Amino acid sequence: STLPAVAEELLREIKKAFQESSHVPDDLLLGLKFIFGPSAVPALDLVDQHCVTRVTAPSGRTLYQVLGSSGKLYTCYSSCHFCTCPAFGFSVLQKSESLLCKHILAVYLSQAMGACQELSVSEEQLTNILLAEEEDEG
Amino acid sequence: LCRGGLAERLCRLQNRERSAISFWRHQCISDDKIPSDKSGVLIVKILEIFEECTIQVAVCQQLEQSPVTLSPEDAVINAEEPILKVLFTRETAAYLKSRPQDVIHIYPPWQKLLLQNGDVPVIMNTYFSQKVLLSEHSEAREKTYGLTKMLIRKNIISLAQTFRLDDLDDRLHQEPSDNQVAGAPQIRNNGDSKQHPLAVSAVNDSLLEMVESQGAVGWRDVQVRVVIQRVYCLPARERCRSHTQGNKPLCATAVTNSDPPNVRLCLLVQDAYGMFSEVQLQSLSSTDDIEQYCRRWEGKSCCLAGMKILQRTTRGRALGLFSLIDSLWPPVVPLKVPGQSQDSEMMTTNLPPPSFCYILTVQSGEIHVEVDEEEQISNLYQPPAVHGLKEILRIDGCNERCSFWAQVLYLRLQTKHNVPIDQRDILLFVTDSTLQNVVHGIPKVVAVSVTASCVLSMEIREALSAGSRLVFFKDALWGNGRIICVERTVLLLQKPLLCLAAGADLSELTGPVRLDELDSTTQANSVCALRGTVVGVNEGTAFSWPTCDRCGNGKLELCPQDRELLYCNQCSEVVTTPVLKMQLEVFLSCPSRSQSTVKVKVWHEVSVALFVLLTMLLFLQTYEVQSVLGKEVGLLNCYVHSVTSHPNCVALEEIVLL
Repeated sequence: STLPAVAEELLREIKKAFQESSHVPDDLLLGLKFIFGPSAVPALDLVDQHCVTRVTAPSGRTLYQVLGSSGKLYTCYSSCHFCTCPAFGFSVLQKSESLLCKHILAVYLSQAMGACQELSVSEEQLTNILLAEEEDEG
Repeated sequence: LCRGGLAERLCRLQNRERSAISFWRHQCISDDKIPSDKSGVLIVKILEIFEECTIQVAVCQQLEQSPVTLSPEDAVINAEEPILKVLFTRETAAYLKSRPQDVIHIYPPWQKLLLQNGDVPVIMNTYFSQKVLLSEHSEAREKTYGLTKMLIRKNIISLAQTFRLDDLDDRLHQEPSDNQVAGAPQIRNNGDSKQHPLAVSAVNDSLLEMVESQGAVGWRDVQVRVVIQRVYCLPARERCRSHTQGNKPLCATAVTNSDPPNVRLCLLVQDAYGMFSEVQLQSLSSTDDIEQYCRRWEGKSCCLAGMKILQRTTRGRALGLFSLIDSLWPPVVPLKVPGQSQDSEMMTTNLPPPSFCYILTVQSGEIHVEVDEEEQISNLYQPPAVHGLKEILRIDGCNERCSFWAQVLYLRLQTKHNVPIDQRDILLFVTDSTLQNVVHGIPKVVAVSVTASCVLSMEIREALSAGSRLVFFKDALWGNGRIICVERTVLLLQKPLLCLAAGADLSELTGPVRLDELDSTTQANSVCALRGTVVGVNEGTAFSWPTCDRCGNGKLELCPQDRELLYCNQCSEVVTTPVLKMQLEVFLSCPSRSQSTVKVKVWHEVSVALFVLLTMLLFLQTYEVQSVLGKEVGLLNCYVHSVTSHPNCVALEEIVLL
């Protein structure tokens, strides 16, 4: 597959540009739009508002929580592309129309631009967050 | 959207781009020819198309010049022409309707991206693309192709493929601790395969040092190596089941209880410096595993990690625990001396036994007990010293832990009805060859009291009530002339593998078991044998009743359909051959205890045919008293209910030995 490598390279370019000049050039932004389509603007909005939190436990386990526009907190995994939002389930899983949802993209962009909030929790608390997601869906 | 934020910026850029695209497309249509400005135009020939998400990926060959000037025959793929992957959005792809062999002109602004993995360059932002129509031949071809719908392969992207934003160099220099194995093995159960060793560095060998340096909260990344001296179960503290059995008296034979026990598996461990610690592990769902754990773990070395201190207890406050520790003192190998080199060891003969002990427990979510089951038994291990009952009765002391292998003859449950069965004290009468083979001087049978705090497995409970069994009593308490099974005593059905068999005889008893005869020294709550002559009958206590021959139910009813038949509602069947139970209290004159009135409750079971039973029921009388007086009775096995001096009376009950 080609697209993931392209997306990855684009994000790395963004990170490099941001690290060098604290600025993301227009062409990279347009590139985001080209690859990610309608998710691009909402994802950048989430980054602007610092909605992404990286949650870590002492064991090293991580996950991301993104505060969605509706006020709902979505969980994104770090080990694979997964988000608990309905758009992910629909566009990515069901239709394979998108590579990511806006929340996962926001996670990557926040990583690239150092805009993640950090939260340390205990193992139990992290497990509870993951289990809570299960219960909601069940 | 945030003012001045990235999202706002992209929005503006996007709007501008959209206008540019629509303007350009409009221009293409109206002009109906290739725009004159050729600089920066990418000319590609499509070789292959596939789709990923909504992006169309076209593997193309970059052409030097427009193929308009070339004839179709010359349009042969030249291997030297560079290959590109051109991406089109869904919208552009729909507009282009490209097919392999088509030539596309891509106008600026387009973007070229070089990938890290060395794949072909990728062309993005290809909104300003136009398909180039060739000669009139191609027009016809276009028409035919236009009619058939082309199927484009769609690649499904794996979600497992995440993006790494770090440079390769960064990744190489990443801390190895990030990849450290965080999970640790659970306690093993029933023969799991060998598990990974704990991924921590140092293994300590001093419990005291661990406790003092790590503190009460929990041990991080450290392990202690200890020897497991004993494995047992302790009842959990939170025992708040209010269990009512109703008011029906439960017979002594039914000791089983179906409720799951609330017990914790515990280890008594000792380090190389001689210090003991009780480690309280998980709750067991079934106590049947205890025998397994004892067999597999006692005597082996293990590493403890992730512990926290529950309590520091002292001799005065935990008599039971320290009686067990005392039985393991002094150690059988020289101990290490703290603060000195490996070589110096302490001789242990005159060392005083420990006066304090730490009780450890596992931190929730992290159980770290790694037992080297494959390894040999440690030299520090002291197996239980098994003695014959004769020797134990001679032990001079109080609260001494003792272990023995004995045959259970009779079992009696404590008669408190408001206490659940599994919480009642049990009285066992046991014997072994050391007691049976002696002529006189010591009792032939010994009473062992099992308190509720001694955890019994279901297997043991069933075995005790089912039949005469040889049971290994490990670390029972001897004191004040009695043997009691308390906390930390374990009853096992199998002979111990390792034991200091000092005078112990683990053989089965040969010949019938003999009880002590009733005499002046007989006490209450014991068993004895007696013989005598019937001198009286307590008529008021005489009665008989039919019981079910299948289940022993003593409360048979008359069949509703046929009032001549008996019905057992436990078996839900008619009882055709009931067993008639008769109970009678007789007064005996026993030469062995001639001064006392001996009153024996005698049971009698007779299986009778229906006719005889009916006759009996009709006449409401079982037998003639006269026929019983003067009869010789003996040798009856009895349980002594009470012994009173004024009046001098012994009340007994005939029993059946297991």
